Amino acid sequence: MGSDYAIEADDLRRTYRARTGWLKPTRTEVEAVRGVTFEVGRGELFGLLGPNGAGKTTTIKMLNTLLIPTSGTARVGGFDVVKQTKQVRRRIGYVFGGDRGLYDRLSALDNLRYFAELYGVAPREQKRRIAELLDLVGLAGRERERVEGYSRGMRQRLHIARGLLHSPDVLFLDEPSIGVDPVAARELRRTVGDLAATGTTVLLTTHYMAEADELCDRIAVISDGCIQALGTPAELRKHADGFRVVEVEAYGVPDTAVDTLRGLPGVRETAVEVKGALQLLTVHSDAHVDVQGDVLRELAGIRLGRVNSREPTLEDAYVAIVSAA
Amino acid sequence: MKTIRLMAVGGTIAYRALFNWTTPGMFVGTLLVGPLFQLLFFAYLGRQLQVADDRFYIVGNAVLTASLACVFGGTMAVANERRYGTLGHVLLSPRSRTLIFWGRVLPYAGNGLLIAVVTLTVGALLLGLRIPLSALPGLLLAMAAGSLACGFFGLTLGALGLRFRDVWVISNVAVALLLLLTGVNVPADGLPGWMVTVGQWLPITHAASAARSFAAGEGFASAAPALGRELLVGAVYAAAAVILLKIFETESRRRASLDTY
Repeated sequence: MGSDYAIEADDLRRTYRARTGWLKPTRTEVEAVRGVTFEVGRGELFGLLGPNGAGKTTTIKMLNTLLIPTSGTARVGGFDVVKQTKQVRRRIGYVFGGDRGLYDRLSALDNLRYFAELYGVAPREQKRRIAELLDLVGLAGRERERVEGYSRGMRQRLHIARGLLHSPDVLFLDEPSIGVDPVAARELRRTVGDLAATGTTVLLTTHYMAEADELCDRIAVISDGCIQALGTPAELRKHADGFRVVEVEAYGVPDTAVDTLRGLPGVRETAVEVKGALQLLTVHSDAHVDVQGDVLRELAGIRLGRVNSREPTLEDAYVAIVSAA
Repeated sequence: MKTIRLMAVGGTIAYRALFNWTTPGMFVGTLLVGPLFQLLFFAYLGRQLQVADDRFYIVGNAVLTASLACVFGGTMAVANERRYGTLGHVLLSPRSRTLIFWGRVLPYAGNGLLIAVVTLTVGALLLGLRIPLSALPGLLLAMAAGSLACGFFGLTLGALGLRFRDVWVISNVAVALLLLLTGVNVPADGLPGWMVTVGQWLPITHAASAARSFAAGEGFASAAPALGRELLVGAVYAAAAVILLKIFETESRRRASLDTY
C-alpha cells in the first residue's frame, strides 16, 4: 500500500433521492453526508460517533464501496473507493450490528465457509483460518449449530469472524454492540481492542460513549452529515470544560417542567432519558453556577430519586457538541 | 481450480442457505407431488379433448416440472439475500459476480433435472407409457438442457430482484407463461403466431420438443437441432443475467436501492 493513511475521506457527500407515488410522483432529497473529511492512520482505532441519522452508516458504506459518493473522494489503503473497488474489497472487512446479515439456516461453520470462498481465502487455509476465528470470537464448539438458534451476542461475534476471514487491513464496524448485553458487549470490546493491537485499522461507529472512550485512539463526532469535532477522547472531553452536570432521577416530570429547567440561569442544556417509569434528567450548566438548588425547587412536588452533581464525561462532551451543531 | 471451487462449493452452500424448499416435506410436496398432479391433469384433459396422446403430455410436462425449482430457485438465489440482509456482504466480495451467480444456478438445474426424471418415471408408470431404453440417454440430455436453460432464466428473473421489490410477482407470471407458451400442454400450432414467437425464446420449449423426439424413438440427429436451440436460449439467459446483475449492482451503489427493501 502506497498511502500513508489506511482511510482518507475528502469532502465526501451523499444525497439520497426518493420518488413516491405514480400519478403525482413526489421527489424528495435528503443530504445524508455533507462534506466529511478525515484520515485514519494505519493500525489506528478510529471512532465515528453521532446520533441516529447523523450519516455514520452512509459514510461507512461509501468507504466500503457499497455506495458511490455524490461528490468528494475517498481512498482505502491508497485505492479509490469508486474506481478501484476490487482492490478496496480485498483489503476491507465489514461488520454491522443487528440480527440480520447471516444465513439463518446454515451453521456458523457453513456461513464462514461460504464467505471464505467469496472473499478469496485460499482453500488450504480456510479450515485453519475458520478454526482460528471461531476460537477468537468464542464460538468454538458451537460452530455446527444453525445460526437461527444463536443469541444476538453470538451472531455479533459471528459477524466479526466473517469480517476477519480474509485478514483485512481495514475493518469497518458499524454499531457492532447494538442490542448486545453488557457482558457480550465487553467481550466484543476486548476482541476489537485485540484486533487493533495486532495492527488492523478499525473504523468503529457506536452510540456508546464508554465504548468509544475505552477503545478509540481518535473520535470524530458527526451530526447532520458533518463532522462537528475530531480528536482524541481527552481532546473531545475539553468541549465540556467549564460545564457542570446535575443528574436527577425523577418520576412523572411534565414537559413544561423540563422547559422551565432549560430557562434557568446558567443552564446550557437539558436532556431527559426515559428508563421504564424512571426519567433521568441531565442538566448541563456553567461550572461557576450551582443550579442544583434551582432544579430541585422547580421539581418540587415531583417524586425524586437519586440526585447527583458531577464532573462532565465524554458523553457530556458529545451532547455538548451535538447540541451545538 | 479456484473457479470451479467457487462455482461448485459456493453454489452448493448458497443453495442450502437460500432455497426455501429444501426440507423433505416442502421438497416432496411442492416439487414432486404438485407437478405430478399437474401432469395427470393435462394428460387426462388431453385424453378427454383428444388433442394429443399421452406421450405428448407426459414427456412435455415432465420436462416442464424442472421449471418450478429453476425459476423460483433462481429468484430465491438473489431475492432471499435481501431477506437475510446478506446481499451487501456478497456484493463486497472481490470475486467474479458471474462465477458466483452462475455457480448458484447449477444446484437448481440439478434439482430440476431430478424432479423431471422422477416425474417422467412416475407419470409413465401411472399412465402406462412405454419408453424405449435406448431413448433414455437422449431424454436425460434433453431434460438436463431444459433444466440448465431454465436455471439461467430463473437467475435472470432473480437479477431483477436487485432492482424491483416485488420480484416474486414476476416469477409467478413467468411460471404461468412457461405453462402456456412452451408448447408443453397446448401444441404450438394451436397458439397465435406471436405467442409461438415468444415461446421460441423461452426455456423448455425446445427441450420438450427434443425430449418428445427421443421418446418417440427418433435418433439424436432428429433431436439435435431442438437441443441446440435450447442450449442457445440458455446461453442467452446466462448472458442476460450477468448483464442485469452488473447493471443493477452499479445502480444500487448509485441509488442506494439495496437499502430500500
